[in-house]
Amino acid sequence: MKAKTAMQTRASFLLGSVSGLTVVAKNGDFFGRALAQAPLSGLTGPADDRVLVLINLQGGNDGLNCVVPYSMPQYYRYRPTLGVAQNDVLRLNEQVGLNPNMKSFKAMFDKGQVAVIQGVGYPKPDHSHFRSQEIWQTADPDGYSATGWIGRYLDVANLPKENLFNAVAVSPVLPELFGSRTVDVPAVDGNLRGYGLNSDRRAGGAAAFRSMLSDSAQPFSSPYLGKVAEIETNAQRGSEELPKLVAGYQTDAQYPATILGRSLALAAQMAGSQIGTRVIYVAHGSFDTHTNQKATQNRLLEQFSDAVAAFYSDLAAHGNDKRVLTMTFSEFGRRVAENASGGTDHGEAAPVFLIGGGVKGGVYANHPSLDDLDNGDIKYTTDFRSVYATVIERWLGRPSQGIIAGNFPSLPIIAA
Amino acid sequence: MRRAGFGGSPAEVAAFAALSMDAAVDRLIHFPDTAQLEAGPQLTEDTPRKELRAMGLTTEQIKALGRAHFENAVALMEWWLGRMIATPAPLQEKMTLFWHGHFTSAYEGKGITAQDILTQNQLFRSFALGNIRKLTLAVSHDPAMLKYLDNRANRAQHPNENYARELMELYTLGIGNYTEQDVRESARAFTGYTLDADAQFVFNGRQHDDGAKTFLGQTGNFTGDDIVNIIFRQPAASQFFAKKLLEFYVYSEPEPQLVDLVAEQLKKNNFELMPVMSVLLRSNVFHSDRAYRALVKSPTEFVVGSYKLFSLPPAAVEQPVLGAMTRMGQRLFFPPNVKGWDGGASWINSGTLLTRENLASALCANPQMMQTATWLTQAGSLEPKTLSEHIVAQVLQGDISPASRAQLDAYLSGAGTAALAMLSGENFEERIRGAVYLAMATPAYQLA
Repeated sequence: MKAKTAMQTRASFLLGSVSGLTVVAKNGDFFGRALAQAPLSGLTGPADDRVLVLINLQGGNDGLNCVVPYSMPQYYRYRPTLGVAQNDVLRLNEQVGLNPNMKSFKAMFDKGQVAVIQGVGYPKPDHSHFRSQEIWQTADPDGYSATGWIGRYLDVANLPKENLFNAVAVSPVLPELFGSRTVDVPAVDGNLRGYGLNSDRRAGGAAAFRSMLSDSAQPFSSPYLGKVAEIETNAQRGSEELPKLVAGYQTDAQYPATILGRSLALAAQMAGSQIGTRVIYVAHGSFDTHTNQKATQNRLLEQFSDAVAAFYSDLAAHGNDKRVLTMTFSEFGRRVAENASGGTDHGEAAPVFLIGGGVKGGVYANHPSLDDLDNGDIKYTTDFRSVYATVIERWLGRPSQGIIAGNFPSLPIIAA
Repeated sequence: MRRAGFGGSPAEVAAFAALSMDAAVDRLIHFPDTAQLEAGPQLTEDTPRKELRAMGLTTEQIKALGRAHFENAVALMEWWLGRMIATPAPLQEKMTLFWHGHFTSAYEGKGITAQDILTQNQLFRSFALGNIRKLTLAVSHDPAMLKYLDNRANRAQHPNENYARELMELYTLGIGNYTEQDVRESARAFTGYTLDADAQFVFNGRQHDDGAKTFLGQTGNFTGDDIVNIIFRQPAASQFFAKKLLEFYVYSEPEPQLVDLVAEQLKKNNFELMPVMSVLLRSNVFHSDRAYRALVKSPTEFVVGSYKLFSLPPAAVEQPVLGAMTRMGQRLFFPPNVKGWDGGASWINSGTLLTRENLASALCANPQMMQTATWLTQAGSLEPKTLSEHIVAQVLQGDISPASRAQLDAYLSGAGTAALAMLSGENFEERIRGAVYLAMATPAYQLA
């Protein structure tokens, strides 16, 4: 593929074929909990009702102002105006702390419900939003996989075929990570508004003729005909079933009035209604803060923090907090040095959060060095595919081989 | 007409059907003067939020201006959809939509005003079938773009490479045809491309890095315009636009040989689009079986085509339709990201498909939108088979399976209902609405 040449020509790339957990050399004494030597506790067969929620922090969340390395003097040298003051940081340990707008999230960390994995990325990082999202969603930095990493999990997970809600995207557009050879994942909005055929009521009597809507035997051939017909069949059935299936769920949780809040409220409803949903996707953003970063990122992080806290208090009230694992991701972190517009440009590695009653809380992996940069960007210390392998093996209970190409050790972050 | 425009009203379809293929393509390509159409909606002045805070306005005043943003967004969308419906030059609007999804900017944040985004839309229209290289130069000077991809903050001392990167990756060459070093060098060339106090393009020599740059193998004291001109000398540029045009107008994943052929045409014509589209729309490929209904209609095509099907005036575009477009995945003037809309299969999932059907249903159920008398008059008969023949011709250009056609006939005959079997003065109203809805909800209607 031509595209590889661009990545191969990236100047001064130093990491070579580092894989998995191995750590960039000479990171000094700046570390979290050591991971590389931790023993794999074997694949526990998780209960069948475990749920994975993925939150896409779209646009490239600035990791350095989210999990702030307040103990690194270089951080303040690179960010004279954007740097979060030491006194404002919500300290997680002697090295790093959360952005001050993440108070409710900090409270969850203090309860041991949050694992912060520092410096997550991959070799030869790409700086394009689209290519990077594609890489994170396909878990295929070297090629152009037609399927997504969750889609490949769905292909081998042996989930009941008749269940239309094995995975659900709470999003107007189906994300690439659900790309699957066998499973059609519904995309719904947080209010379930518009997920349903209200035509029969209006065009009275048409219900009996619905099969016309999924008739693929047309007098022409089109590459999209089969897909439209199949999705139509699923949409009709699914949209009738889903609202009924989740209708019994009652909650007192107060979610913030944001799209993320609404989406996570629906996720709690689905998780709590025991409808067999294993993976739920929601999105938040845009974090693409080239200009005036402070106001935008602070607002988005506060929204994130409050929505996730409401989500877990809702789950806990129903006894579901231990069976729902939430993982964040973003296409990249941002350039270490702030730019002249009060923002930051596209960068490389960034932290990932694993959240829930099932995680072993704490700060993991080494924080990337700010002395040894890759063209102005921090170098990753943990490959994102190791995080995925962790989720697949230790949470969803499947071997990651065949889902994640290459050999990436999983991390002992999930309580067995 | 579906692919080069947005479908047509029954009258337009009949007029085109009477033409030879050459004459029809000529009419599409050499489009009439559209100066009589509104060049834009009435806009409320909207000052970027950041500047408002600097001006010391109260929260209440800022809220009022937030309303202005919303009202402008609605006005812009209603105006453009209305223009697509009313225009005698559908290909001009289709190309404008193509460029909007290509050289993306969004009316959201970054200090982009409604006037900026309207000006950009007018630029796309003025270059609809014009010269792609010159359009790229104009886009590099366009205020909305300078804000959207931050080039107005690209200074010699602090290069901001956002525009330079996307210019190559998404707008002209595609990934793999340049290096990271080329991005950094071209960002230097674009330093000083910024805005003056009136938010108009200005080349600020003091912010421009006039040192030597090495870009795609050439070295010189390049400006941004030089960068664009060098880009258009790369073989990858003609390939890039050839593929994108084929995927928008013909079918996805076009054969490499076909891309080569269109790329040759682009090079031969110095990136003048009109002669290239003239060849493409007349080509056997455009009229091949493989190209037939080989594209998924975008939400815009679905909405505009449906309005034209009902011969509705532009004024019939109202806010509920805009909400449905959001749920179908396309808000005009708000592309989801700098890559624009992915199109193709990404338009279709359970949520978007249901929204299409519900919109079709709402249009059919509304006597303001769908006049059953018109359908009846045009069909010329209350006889179910004749009526369904007419509906299938109008809505689906005849594309229906025998089984579905039998169902439609049965529906119009009253099968499955308690009503009289014969269409009559009492039930034809509801039956025709139901039958047109069913036709609009079939798979064929989702495809162009």
